Amino acid sequence: MLSLFDPTSAIDALSALFVVTTLVMMTHKSITPAIRMYALQSAILSLIATIVAIATSEYHLLFIAAITLGLKTFGIPKLLDYVVERIKIKRESEPYINLSLALAIAGGLILFAYFIVRPIQIPGELLAKHSLTASLGVVFMGFFIMVSRRKAITQTLGLLVMENGMFLAALSLTYGMPLIVELGVAFDVLVAAIILGILLFNINRTFDTVDASRLTRLNE
Amino acid sequence: MLSFLLVVLLQTLLILALSPLIDNLASKVKAVFQSRQGPPLFQPYYDLWKHFRKAPVVSHRTSWVFRIAPYVSFAGFLAAAEFVPIAAAHPPLSFGGDFFAVIMLFTVAHVFIALAALDASSSFGGLGSSRDITLAALAEPGLVLTVFTLAVAYGATTLGDVTDQVLLLGTRAITPTHLLLFGAVFMLTIAESGRIPIDNPATHLELTMVHEAQILEYSGKDLAVIQWGLHVKELALVAILTNVFFPWGIASGGLPTLASVLIFVGKAVLAIMLIATVESFTAKWRIFRLLEYMTIAFILAFFALLSIFILGA
Repeated sequence: MLSLFDPTSAIDALSALFVVTTLVMMTHKSITPAIRMYALQSAILSLIATIVAIATSEYHLLFIAAITLGLKTFGIPKLLDYVVERIKIKRESEPYINLSLALAIAGGLILFAYFIVRPIQIPGELLAKHSLTASLGVVFMGFFIMVSRRKAITQTLGLLVMENGMFLAALSLTYGMPLIVELGVAFDVLVAAIILGILLFNINRTFDTVDASRLTRLNE
Repeated sequence: MLSFLLVVLLQTLLILALSPLIDNLASKVKAVFQSRQGPPLFQPYYDLWKHFRKAPVVSHRTSWVFRIAPYVSFAGFLAAAEFVPIAAAHPPLSFGGDFFAVIMLFTVAHVFIALAALDASSSFGGLGSSRDITLAALAEPGLVLTVFTLAVAYGATTLGDVTDQVLLLGTRAITPTHLLLFGAVFMLTIAESGRIPIDNPATHLELTMVHEAQILEYSGKDLAVIQWGLHVKELALVAILTNVFFPWGIASGGLPTLASVLIFVGKAVLAIMLIATVESFTAKWRIFRLLEYMTIAFILAFFALLSIFILGA
């Protein structure tokens, strides 16, 4: 069988791409390309879910893949685009950590994820066992985006990236959670994105900025 | 022995004849994206022909370095190209060196061009040289890690051996490691060939130019030699990019066949079109952001190295 169509190697390659999209997201200072990258990342995730679904005959995953594609590739990016347009923030201001160092830290985070995952003994043959490192790394990198950026909207993106990482972890370990749980999570993410969007409007209206570093003082 | 010499001769001729065309294709593709007609396909050949018939004008303040630099750089790039799999995985002269030797020869050529630009003591030359050498230093970590990762992944630093390994593995060679390495090498290739976002080959704007600034002082025959050398470098880079990572169609021994030559031409055309397309959709980066560019290449190579261990576990 051609290896490219062998599910494990296809998932491995897509997981690597998944990490790279997060990396690209970190390199962008403007917000719109970062949102596009999030959409692409979610599309990759949906593709991985589809491959796992077909390879393991867990067909409820197909449904989840479709939700992921609809919600995270089209819905949430659309919403974020709308928020960006409304609050007129196009670029991230100077981040706390310069980009080269941030990228080096991202490399370190993946290494860290590798050392955490390595001792874990996974019983049986899992289709996507290599994805666990990638998913954990992406969770760390999402968290790092949240703490290293100033604008609240990029921090929102970091949260969404973390959620994507979690989803991949669930996919690689248990072939996805039961449908009802997945539905709940998807709905949660949507609600979180909407609430954060509305919160961003209000922060922007009250303080004239979404720079989180200036929100440490209480106003009258 | 005779056939050995014949193959060497043919390969050299192929490199020399094909390289201006490959370089010009990039300008052509970019022109198409900008809704321009662009230069005629064979323009570089006319340019070379014209320059070769003109006597060079050399400032009397320059030293011998300025006079030999075009020939040294040309020789460096051509020798490096002889080590690279072009139409056969192990070209006759490839026993001469591995990937490190190719990098060293490139560096020799670069150093001489940089010295010559300083030698003419024009301010642009100094500017270009200083930037070029800074870039070379910044690219170093990513480059070394890439070669290192190639060695770990395929057990060889000789380009031809890596090609053989990939050929042997077939489609199983397309692993995350392979793809990440390809990404790193692609970024470094763009940096080395002086394209956007590192440098714009189409500009003579003093604020931004790097490579163009260094050859401003040259004219006539010297300019032709230096330009041709740069064309050869471009072809060698394209050959590394295509034949090391996607070697299918190459002749696996030392002897190229007609089919492998044609396939190489096709692959080189495709690769340069891809590079030109990427170039068309990218803005040039500020020179102070180039450290970030090189860091991205380094991190890609690092991920590639890490992925070997993750997948092997």
